[in-house]
Amino acid sequence: MSKEMEFKTIVAQYANVNAEDITNDMKFREDLGFTSLDFMSFLGELEDTFDVELEEENAEGVYTIGDALELLEKLS
Amino acid sequence: MLIRELIEESASKFADIKAVKWLEKKDIKERSYKELGENVVLIRKGLKAEGFTNKHIAFVGESSVFWIECFIGVITGSNVSVPLDFGLPTEDLVDLINRSDSEGLFVSLKKKGAIKDILENCPKIKKIWILSDKDDKALDAISKELDGVDGFNEKIEMYSELKKSGVDSEDDSAPTAEKLATIMFTSGTTGKSKGVMLSQENFATNVEAVAYGREPGLIMMSVLPIHHAFSLVMDWFNGLSKGASICINDSLMHMTRNMGIYKPQIMLMVPLMIETIYKQIRAIDESVPKAMVKVKIFGENLDTIFTGGAHLDPFYIEKFKEYGIDIYEGYGMSECSPVISANMPEAHKAGSIGKPVSNAEIKFENGEILVRGTSVMQGYYNMPEETSETLKDGWLHTGDKGYMDEDGFLFINGRVKNLIILSNGENVSPEEIENKLGLTPLVGEIIITGENNGLVAHIFPDRDYAQVKGLSEEDIATELQKIIDEYDSTQPSYKKIVSIVVRKNPFIKNSTRKIKRQEVLVDEPQ
Repeated sequence: MSKEMEFKTIVAQYANVNAEDITNDMKFREDLGFTSLDFMSFLGELEDTFDVELEEENAEGVYTIGDALELLEKLS
Repeated sequence: MLIRELIEESASKFADIKAVKWLEKKDIKERSYKELGENVVLIRKGLKAEGFTNKHIAFVGESSVFWIECFIGVITGSNVSVPLDFGLPTEDLVDLINRSDSEGLFVSLKKKGAIKDILENCPKIKKIWILSDKDDKALDAISKELDGVDGFNEKIEMYSELKKSGVDSEDDSAPTAEKLATIMFTSGTTGKSKGVMLSQENFATNVEAVAYGREPGLIMMSVLPIHHAFSLVMDWFNGLSKGASICINDSLMHMTRNMGIYKPQIMLMVPLMIETIYKQIRAIDESVPKAMVKVKIFGENLDTIFTGGAHLDPFYIEKFKEYGIDIYEGYGMSECSPVISANMPEAHKAGSIGKPVSNAEIKFENGEILVRGTSVMQGYYNMPEETSETLKDGWLHTGDKGYMDEDGFLFINGRVKNLIILSNGENVSPEEIENKLGLTPLVGEIIITGENNGLVAHIFPDRDYAQVKGLSEEDIATELQKIIDEYDSTQPSYKKIVSIVVRKNPFIKNSTRKIKRQEVLVDEPQ
C-alpha cells in the first residue's frame, strides 16, 4: 500500500467513507465530519503508523487532507 | 472524612503503592502514596511560611503530579483553590484570576506565555509558582518570556523552592467542613462564567457518595482535564481514597497508545471519547477476534468506563459490552461537586443517568430537576443575584428537565436554560460568544448553535455597513470567515466555531424583539 493510501485508510475509519473516495481538497471537519477528538486521535495514529513526532501545535492550519499530507511529508 | 484526612490515611495505608504515574518522553515516572503525602504537607507548610493563609490561589495547567500535589496542598490548609481551564485565552484567565480575588498562582510551563500578561494585569497576584521540577530549564525559559518585566524574580518561584520553604515550618490549620475549598468556574447562561463555591464537605461527601468497591493497586487512567470537578472527584479524590494508581494521559493524541502502556482497568470519559474509540473499533475487520481488538484498542485490562458531562447513546453501552467493558453513565454539574446520580455496577439501566447518589435528594418542579444535599454548592462567588436564581430554599435548580421511573432511575429529556452541551462534556454559553462577535461592525445579528459536536455561527450581516464598505456577497462571506478565524485562534478547541451560515434575512423575533432561538434555521423574509 502506498503511503498516501495508508494515510487515507486511517482517515476513512473516522469518516465512514472509502479510502479511495477521499480527495486532497476534502476538509476534515466540514466534508469528513471529524470531531476535534477524532482529529487528535487521528494525529496520534499518524505518529504510530509513520514513526513521526507531532506536537498539537503542528496541527494548527491543517484543514484539508492535502494540508495533512504536506505536514506528514515535512516531518518524515 | 474531609480531603485532608483522606490523603493522610491513604499516604499511610497505601504508602508503597504508586499513587501517580506519568510519561516523560517514553519513560514512565512514578510517585508513591508516601511521597505524595509528604509533598502535600511540604507544600501546605511552604504556603504558610510564604504568607499564604486564607488566600485564594489559582491554577493554570494541564494534568500533572505537580498540579494535584499543589492543589491538595492548598485545599487541605486554610487556602482556597481556583482551578482554571488552561485552554482559555490569556485575557479570560486574567479576568477570572481578578474576579476570584486570587493572590497566588500555580502555572505549568506550557502556559509560560501567559505569565507576563498575568503579572501586568492581575495586581493582587503576589506570587507565581511553576508546576515543574525541571528547575534550571524552566527558569531559563520563563526569564526569556519575561525579559523587560521589572521585579519578576521576586514573584516567580519553582515548585521545589516552595517545598523547601515547607521544611521545618509550621503546618497550616485543618479546615472545617463548612470552609470554602474551591471556586470553580462554569459557563453561565448570561454569558459571564460563574465561580461555583464548593466547601470541604461538598467535595468530601461527593467522594463518599460515588464510592465503588475495588482493591488497592487498581489502575486508572485519567484523560479528562484536571480542573473539571468530574475528573477531580471521580479520578483523583476517589482514586486516591481507594489506593488506585492514577496514570496521566499526556495528550488526547495518545489516548489509545497510553491505554496500551498503562493498561488501565477503569477510566472516566466524556461521550465524545467513547464515540471516537468506537470509530476505531468499527474500522477493524470483523474476522479479528474481539479479545485481540480489546488488547489493541483498550490495552487489555479495561473493564469499566464511567461517563458523564453529556448524554451517551445506549448503543455504545451494548457495543462496548461485546469487549467486556461496562459503561456506566452518570449525571452531575460543578454546582453539585459534581455527581448527582450515577449508574453503578450494582444498579444500572441503559439510557438512564442512574439513581441519585446517597447524599442527593431529588424533586421536580415543572419538569425541572431540583437537587438538595451535602454536595450542593454554597453559591456563586460575588454573584448574589445568580445565586438566588439557582439556589432557592436549599434546592439547586439544575436547568435540566427530567423524570424518575418506577425503579428510581433518573432520565433527562430536555433543558430549561440556554446552554449548548457538547458531547465532550463542555458547556458553552452561546450568549457569551454572540456578545463577543456581535461587537464586530459587519456582524448585524448572530446566533450560535451546537450541531454535530461543533459550534455553528448563524450570521445576518449588517447590510448597511457592507454597502458603505462596498462589499459584495462574496466579500461579506470572506470577511466574516476572517472574523471567525481570528476569534477561533484565541479560543480553546471546544469554543471554536467550525462553520458559518450567512443569512439572507434577519432572524425571526418575538414581541420583545428577542431572537427566537428555536427558529434560527428559518431564513425567510418577514
